[in-house]
Amino acid sequence: MIWTLALAPMLLGLLLYAWPRSADAAAKWFGVAVAGCAFVVTLLSANAPDESVRWLQRPFTANFHAGLGGLSYWLVLLLTLATACALASTRISRQRDFVAQMLVLMGAMTGLFVARDLLVFALFWDLMLIPVFLILVAWTPSKSSASAWRYLIYNLTGGLALLLATAAYGMLEGSTDVLGATLGRGATAIGPAWGEWIFAGFAFAFLVKTPVWPFHTWMPSAYADLPPAAAAVVSAVQSKGGLYGFLVVTAPLMPEQMRAALPLMFVLGLVGLVYGAVVALVQDDAKRVVAYSSLSHLGLILIAIFSGNPLALSGAVVYVLAHGLFSAGLFIVLGQVEQREETRSIARLGGLGARNPRLAGSLTIVALAALGLPGLCGFAGEILILTGLYQTGAVWVAGIALVPIIVAAAYMLRLFQGIMQGPEVEDLPERADASFLELLAIAPLVLAIVLLGVNPGPVLAARSLAPAQLSAVEVQR
Amino acid sequence: MTPPLVIPWGSADWTAIAPIIVIALAPLLVLLADLTLPRAARRPAALSLALLGTAAAGLVALAGWGKPYVAFGGGFVLGGFTIAFEEIVIVATLFSLLMAYRLGREDQTAGGLALMLWSAAGAMLMAGAANLMTIFLGLELLSLGLYCLCGLAGRAGAREAALKYLILSSTASAFMLYGMALLFGATGSIQLSALAGANLSAPLFAVGVGMFLIGFAFKLSLAPFHVWTPDVYEGAPLPVTAFMSVATKAGALAVVARFAYAALSTPQSHVLLQPLWILAALSMLVGNLAALAQTDMKRLLAYSGVAQLGYIVAGMAGTTAFGLRYAIFYLAAYTFMNLGAFAVVALLSHDREEGSRLSAFEGLGYRQPVLAGAMTFFLLALAGLPPTAGFTGKVLILAATVGAGYAWLAGVLIVGTAISAYVYIKIVRAMYGRTTGAEIKRPVVPSSPLPWIGVGLCALATLVLGLYPIAPSDVLPLVK
Repeated sequence: MIWTLALAPMLLGLLLYAWPRSADAAAKWFGVAVAGCAFVVTLLSANAPDESVRWLQRPFTANFHAGLGGLSYWLVLLLTLATACALASTRISRQRDFVAQMLVLMGAMTGLFVARDLLVFALFWDLMLIPVFLILVAWTPSKSSASAWRYLIYNLTGGLALLLATAAYGMLEGSTDVLGATLGRGATAIGPAWGEWIFAGFAFAFLVKTPVWPFHTWMPSAYADLPPAAAAVVSAVQSKGGLYGFLVVTAPLMPEQMRAALPLMFVLGLVGLVYGAVVALVQDDAKRVVAYSSLSHLGLILIAIFSGNPLALSGAVVYVLAHGLFSAGLFIVLGQVEQREETRSIARLGGLGARNPRLAGSLTIVALAALGLPGLCGFAGEILILTGLYQTGAVWVAGIALVPIIVAAAYMLRLFQGIMQGPEVEDLPERADASFLELLAIAPLVLAIVLLGVNPGPVLAARSLAPAQLSAVEVQR
Repeated sequence: MTPPLVIPWGSADWTAIAPIIVIALAPLLVLLADLTLPRAARRPAALSLALLGTAAAGLVALAGWGKPYVAFGGGFVLGGFTIAFEEIVIVATLFSLLMAYRLGREDQTAGGLALMLWSAAGAMLMAGAANLMTIFLGLELLSLGLYCLCGLAGRAGAREAALKYLILSSTASAFMLYGMALLFGATGSIQLSALAGANLSAPLFAVGVGMFLIGFAFKLSLAPFHVWTPDVYEGAPLPVTAFMSVATKAGALAVVARFAYAALSTPQSHVLLQPLWILAALSMLVGNLAALAQTDMKRLLAYSGVAQLGYIVAGMAGTTAFGLRYAIFYLAAYTFMNLGAFAVVALLSHDREEGSRLSAFEGLGYRQPVLAGAMTFFLLALAGLPPTAGFTGKVLILAATVGAGYAWLAGVLIVGTAISAYVYIKIVRAMYGRTTGAEIKRPVVPSSPLPWIGVGLCALATLVLGLYPIAPSDVLPLVK
């Protein structure tokens, strides 16, 4: 069942190429239906048993081992929900091909999050780059494929480092089937000399994917050039692969190296946090504002994960999901704006709110979630992280981390005001307000944003993948 | 024991070389059919007979599985290793034949096919060769056919390619032959197994090993001895290029592996093999870097082959048993993904023009989605991306190098792979990217639909080998 969740969307996506071109519009609803089904099936298989099929016996054991426990469950839910919502609101040329690639992407990412074997994890890590690259290449607004190449080369280099580290880990430990909750064990077997190199390989891959400053330069151009639906899914879910990797791969397997890397990661996270917030303040392209805000938010999560504090860690888990929800929402709403006005420039846009109250309402909610309004999901994560950081005694870190959170209010409101408020711009095309369907596409995300903000309990109580670190979360509560 | 110089007819071990005999006799039927049949039936008959003969040789070779055997006084060793390489050569020949329906002019086709089979027989002989004489015999049998085949295209470039190949390959053979003479001088034996006990500090022996390896680095086109490869690949007809890119390499690789594992596997002699691993590292970097700038598919695949051979040789670093198994696995994976890509190029060819310019791929994703999808799959495999045999093979090679203590080689492999991603995925971009007029071009009608079989089978094998990697288990010992 779990593997079906990963494989069926990929196969259906490839089969979609046999769909008649004349029925382009219907292909979209087919995609929404597949993603919706995947969401429902995931929701119902909370306690699904692990599945395992043998892959390699020599030189080390590797199995197609899948599990849906802990964080995986929530991330697959987020993934399928974001894909369904993003596809529902999409409007694009060659829709059939786009939906096909999105389904392949969804399947590959599902595979990543359910993998309980390092090598299978690495396999899906590389696999999920391909549909995004193809989407970037085929639907980029510019003639050059610079953003696609930057995306691919950065992430593939990370993926290869991950692959090398995985192979070395397998040779040392004799098995890569080590991510399952039942198999959680320490990294005592990894010698100090090799351990550092292996950790470096994993960490590089995760840092590039997240992305963390200074490995973020692929991100703004990729998010800007991706069609809104794809940008929503990539920023909401794919970029979580890195943080997920830190949580389920390095934290339980290499705690010593994690501790050793703490100062470096704090610095990288803090720089990204401040830099992202400051750059987001001055961007003109609305999508780039969101991209840089992501850099800032994800830096905060990175710090939380490495702090090792149980409260901060639980905050990190909540914030991973929260960021997924609101960044998907932001990209979807901005996509709806772009479809109407054919521009994303904050300077060009303005005063849309008066004629498009529904669109303005959608943007308000997701922007408020992003800036951390209490009661919405962003706040739940931030407060847990900051309290946890304060507890560890790293007061200065918590202090610095607080500043960009305040700046977040500034750039998010600037984004909202620049698009929705102010005098109406004369030469913008006038279009109808968000349709019922478009509202319906964003509604599940809004619902989830509120639910997670009001009661993050179920997420925290989830049986976690990383027993060594996250079991402390439950004790704390 | 010194083997007798002349082996009496009755005691010769014909069963050991039965597959080679089959594939060497098949061309006679091919030529006979060409002489006797009416004009219209010649090409189909010649091709069918060649395919049948090759397939029969493959089956005969499989029958020898699990029965290790030393034949011809130690000159030919049959075992898992030999059969694995023989099968790889046969598979390569089959897929090349599928592209060879219009090899040369109409009156040249049958002769070309016959030469290709005889070359394959040479490569198969190299797969089992365990003394210096058999090695040389196999190599010459392989090369002589190829010299003619390279010039078969009838274009100016073809003649240049054939001449270049003849001269450079002969030079390499001369190096190798001189090396063999020195090895014989140092040890007094032509058996590879006798080399293992040689006095390693003797300069005669070291120089002999060096010249022997240089000769085979030419044949394997390892950098910096690869310079002939792109020109020859570009000039030769497409099926010949496809054949050379796998079958020749498989034969030469079998010899190098047997030489390294049988003659130089003691810890003391490892130092003599160090240059080989350095050549492997150089090949991965040089091959991929040079491939970046290519605009012709055959040249690109030539340079990519240089790099891929680097990966395979790297798998044998430290001459570990598991490394040899994974090198063979990667070679098998390379066979399918590489020949699959060649088959796609063959399908893009007209009668007059070969579809090997990169521009032939522009917008292919919109004109011929199935073909473009298959090509994408092969390119991803060559780049080492999942879910393909290329990915699994890279993992195994990485594990082998790390396990043998050659972490630096694994590092170079990663760098080379990162560069190669741009090389291969550049073509994917051309197929799916936004190009003006891409959707207007009409689909090419291929000169023969046979390569479709190759595309389908190669894609299937590339997928299945990735998910169920099987490597021959009983590859060692290589000599008795």
